[in-house]
Amino acid sequence: MRWLARRSLSAVATLLVVLTLVFGAIHLAPGTPFMPRGDRPPLDAAAVARLQARFGLDQPIAVQYGRYIGALVRGELGESFSARRPVAAMIADAIPNTLLLAAAALAIEFLLGLGISIYQGIHAGSHRDRALTNLTLFIYSLPTFWLGLVLLLVFGERLHWLPVGGITDPAIHDSLSIAGRAVDRIRHLILPAVTLGLIGAAGTARFERPAVIAALHDDYIRSARARGVGSRRILWAHAVRNALLPYITLAGLAFPFLLTGAVVVESVFAWPGMGKLAADAIATRDYPVVMAATLLAAVMVIVGNLAADCCYAVADPRIREASR
Amino acid sequence: MIAAPGEPSTLLPPMTDEALDRDIFDQLFLKLADIGPDGNTVGDQGFRPALAARWDWASPVALVFHLDPRARWHDGRAVTAGDVAFTFASYTDSTIDSPDRANLSHIVSVEARDSATAVFTFDRRYPEMFFDAVYHMRILPAHLLAALPHSQWRTAAFGRTPVGDGPYDLVRWTAGQDVELAADSTFFLGRPHLRRLVWRFTPDLSVAVTQVVAGDADAIQVLVAPDNIERATAASHLTLYRYPGSVYTLVTFNLRANGDRTTAHPILADVAVRRALVLATDRARMAQSILRGHGRVPPGPLSEMWMGLWFSDIVVPPFDTAQADRLLDGRGWKTGRDGIRVRGGTRMTIHLAVPSSSGMRKAYATLLQEELRAVGVEVMIDQMEAATMQDRERTGRFDAAIESWNTDPSATSNLAEAWLEKGPSNFGGYANPRFDSAVGRALASASPGDSRRAWHDALATLASDSPGIILSALDNVAAVDSRVSDVTFRPDYWGADLRNWRIRGDRLTARDRAER
Amino acid sequence: MNLAHWAALAVTAFVAILLVALLRRNNSPPVQRFFTKPIAAIALAWLVFAALTAIAAPWLAPYRPSQQLDIVALTNRPPSWIHPLGTDAFSRDLLSRIFYGGRVSLGVGILAMAVAIVAGGTIGTVAGYFRRGLDGPLMRMVDVGLAVPRIFLVLAVTALGSGLTLGPLILLLGLTGWFATSRLVRAEVLVLRDAPFVQAARAAGAAPWRVIVRDVVPNAAAPMIVSAALGIGNVMLLEAALSFLGVGVQPPAASWGNMIADGRDQLATAPWTTIAPGLAIALVVMALNAVGDALHDALDPRR
Repeated sequence: MRWLARRSLSAVATLLVVLTLVFGAIHLAPGTPFMPRGDRPPLDAAAVARLQARFGLDQPIAVQYGRYIGALVRGELGESFSARRPVAAMIADAIPNTLLLAAAALAIEFLLGLGISIYQGIHAGSHRDRALTNLTLFIYSLPTFWLGLVLLLVFGERLHWLPVGGITDPAIHDSLSIAGRAVDRIRHLILPAVTLGLIGAAGTARFERPAVIAALHDDYIRSARARGVGSRRILWAHAVRNALLPYITLAGLAFPFLLTGAVVVESVFAWPGMGKLAADAIATRDYPVVMAATLLAAVMVIVGNLAADCCYAVADPRIREASR
Repeated sequence: MIAAPGEPSTLLPPMTDEALDRDIFDQLFLKLADIGPDGNTVGDQGFRPALAARWDWASPVALVFHLDPRARWHDGRAVTAGDVAFTFASYTDSTIDSPDRANLSHIVSVEARDSATAVFTFDRRYPEMFFDAVYHMRILPAHLLAALPHSQWRTAAFGRTPVGDGPYDLVRWTAGQDVELAADSTFFLGRPHLRRLVWRFTPDLSVAVTQVVAGDADAIQVLVAPDNIERATAASHLTLYRYPGSVYTLVTFNLRANGDRTTAHPILADVAVRRALVLATDRARMAQSILRGHGRVPPGPLSEMWMGLWFSDIVVPPFDTAQADRLLDGRGWKTGRDGIRVRGGTRMTIHLAVPSSSGMRKAYATLLQEELRAVGVEVMIDQMEAATMQDRERTGRFDAAIESWNTDPSATSNLAEAWLEKGPSNFGGYANPRFDSAVGRALASASPGDSRRAWHDALATLASDSPGIILSALDNVAAVDSRVSDVTFRPDYWGADLRNWRIRGDRLTARDRAER
Repeated sequence: MNLAHWAALAVTAFVAILLVALLRRNNSPPVQRFFTKPIAAIALAWLVFAALTAIAAPWLAPYRPSQQLDIVALTNRPPSWIHPLGTDAFSRDLLSRIFYGGRVSLGVGILAMAVAIVAGGTIGTVAGYFRRGLDGPLMRMVDVGLAVPRIFLVLAVTALGSGLTLGPLILLLGLTGWFATSRLVRAEVLVLRDAPFVQAARAAGAAPWRVIVRDVVPNAAAPMIVSAALGIGNVMLLEAALSFLGVGVQPPAASWGNMIADGRDQLATAPWTTIAPGLAIALVVMALNAVGDALHDALDPRR
């Protein structure tokens, strides 16, 4: 228990350092908020100064930092400069979209990746195994945004099989039946989820293939087979389960990165999620949104790490001792 | 369904001048009157009645508007002259701080004579006084906004759930996705033909174009890049429309030292050097390469909307590298060993700022870099975010920058702001009393003819001083699904006639019939 | 591109294959383990070829990388015998740009990874070897580094300046990439410091830095080498993503990343401008991953 308290405390400290660093970086960056986005003449200097004063940006950076942390402690994330809305509301809009995309991508990553690795494990050493190894290696090496662009070109613009961005078709979405709406959502989800998930699946297959093979050659499996247990049962009940354990931890740690690492995919597919929100905010110097997005990302990574550490610690008391 | 590259910030008119915000709220809110298809801004010729059914002059500086008695807010209340007076008070309020405030500076007061009559009083007579009175303000509902403290207008809930008096009414605004408007079937100037308008937000132009080409959206008002135009041309379901563009692009030179406004720029302060740089760039060929016929090189910082100021006798220096070389040699810039000119230990290196968000300007930078290398000028391209670039320009920390200006129908404010010695967006520090006095005459003269002659002087002065390289004035090309007919565009606001667009009954698709 | 250029290219490919074939004749067990899978040889030959074309770009490339051949008549030409990969929107020869771009992309990848390995290796070793006092703060620092997604961190820093030059870009990519390496090295060092031969060296009175340099580092090198091979690929992908977002390698220098970004607007009308550099990155990263796997097998005696 004391160990957990200490780890939590250090997690909070880590978070504070991250926030301070990002706060410093974004405020020291050249460029000011409240610049017009398009090819418009800029606001006159006095108008910009008045807006900056309104948001307290004319204060020394230490004062701004104090105010920000103070508000944060009270649970306030502030108001976006460019969208003119509370940051909390913007994040609340973006998170479900990001979660949906991440969950779909994770499902593809997991099911497809695992399926490939089991297939390869069973057929280890065959031509098909080798071909799949090379294929997953190739996909794993693709730049994400490039894959997204190519899929968009082929399946969206050229073949017209799938919509080319957004999360629903606003012209018809509301007039559809519940089933129709679900289909509409899924059709929009396919390309971005496949882009993210395919590369993840290739990674999973590469990670899992040796594990499946090792599990299949485990003494335990061999003895089960010797006892006459059906090979299909062996595969599912024993081999896959054994091979999965390390992967679950890995997936848990990867999840936060799926949420934020989608920056580029979200901008290719016009997916209104956290990644796009953050990238836009950095470009327009929308400080409150940048801070909130960083906070969220860091919290997820730290909580993920903490959870992983806890699992290890429960499993292995030596780590608890060692980290004293 | 319209594909929009971005998302609006607010739909409360005085609070924003972003193009997309205006596109949408101009379907929700009416002006007193609006300019006609010819785009005239001088006097009141060609202006069409909107909220005001007619107007007359009570004196040379007093303009009286008679409101259309049929005009209604979407909540059922009548639009009154009180709303007009309230609107003027709001647009000119210092706390609300509207971007249009400066344009209203010659209007002394707006009063409601009775519920249907509003009187505008000016401080003097000038050619564009009628334009200023009607063009900038969208009339606001006083009964809904009067109670709202001025400091809260920026983020007012009204900005996301506006109640207007225009042809369309807001149905919903889903953050990050779309804004949907529905036609007001009782609209007093005639029921709009298209029953619904949906603006679908996309992260950038390229995605927006893809949506239109793929048939996920029906219209986009500007395709900008020639590649986008080619894609749209290849899509058989789209019809392309060409109309005069409102954007011009130029390289602005900083005549003062990079980061120090008190000293002259070591290279660019010299007018002969600037002229040499203009001579060394083949602007027509660059426009052909980048715009592929969808734009041209204007004789000054002018968009196609101001064709009246494209004076044919103002000479744009031709492409002539030999002459450029001679000019540079003559000013003591000698070609060094690596092909770059040097004078007294100073290399002829110019940092050229471009926004990373603009494909066209990045393309121009790439071409300029190669062309200027040929006359011994080293160009370093500094790509930066648009916000950073504006900040650099405002504080004078640049050598040269590729700017694109989106202009309104009147050249007055743009040319004055960008090139007068004290102009707020004169980032390069251009200063010539001759230009300033010509602009002064153009703004003050009572007759349109005198005003035009004064503009000619101003633009001729500008051309001979070469404070920049004028690159292009863009055509606008729109793509609209072919089932939509009666499509017309007005250069300053493409959607001005949107309520007259229609889809013939036999061409309606399931998407068009979809009922909420 | 004339006959001489084609011949030079063929010679380069031949040299690459020859070098790998010569290496394969070496009979030492690690080398033989490395070449167990045929893909390792192909991948290595491909990497050598890519490196050779990058180094010899001035002789191999038919044109200067920024040379605009004819900005009206020769833009966006599809692949042909004269321009084997076509030309881009500025009428520049894509093959020449791929060769020169390889210098930048591979160079950035290798140098940034070197920075990351040195930083991560040093900090991991120090933390793992000295434990008390240093380990806690250093590992908390690593936690901080790992807590912010790398692309956010890099984006935030690139926002500080306008257009990083190559040096700072390499430093930035290197200094944001060492966190995971340092954990890996620390774990290795934690095991090594209690190994009998290290304890013996310490008991003999050797100074700590001597023990580290002579006994610990060589034995912890294997995972570092493998992670470096994989890391170069990651840096190249990150550089591409940054260039795509407009903050990577600045023009006129060609990098494979900014070539993709340049071609993006023409993806529908001139797909080769994007596909060629995309495949260049993918194939090199793939080869790096394959070589990394083979190195892992070769350097891990437990197999």
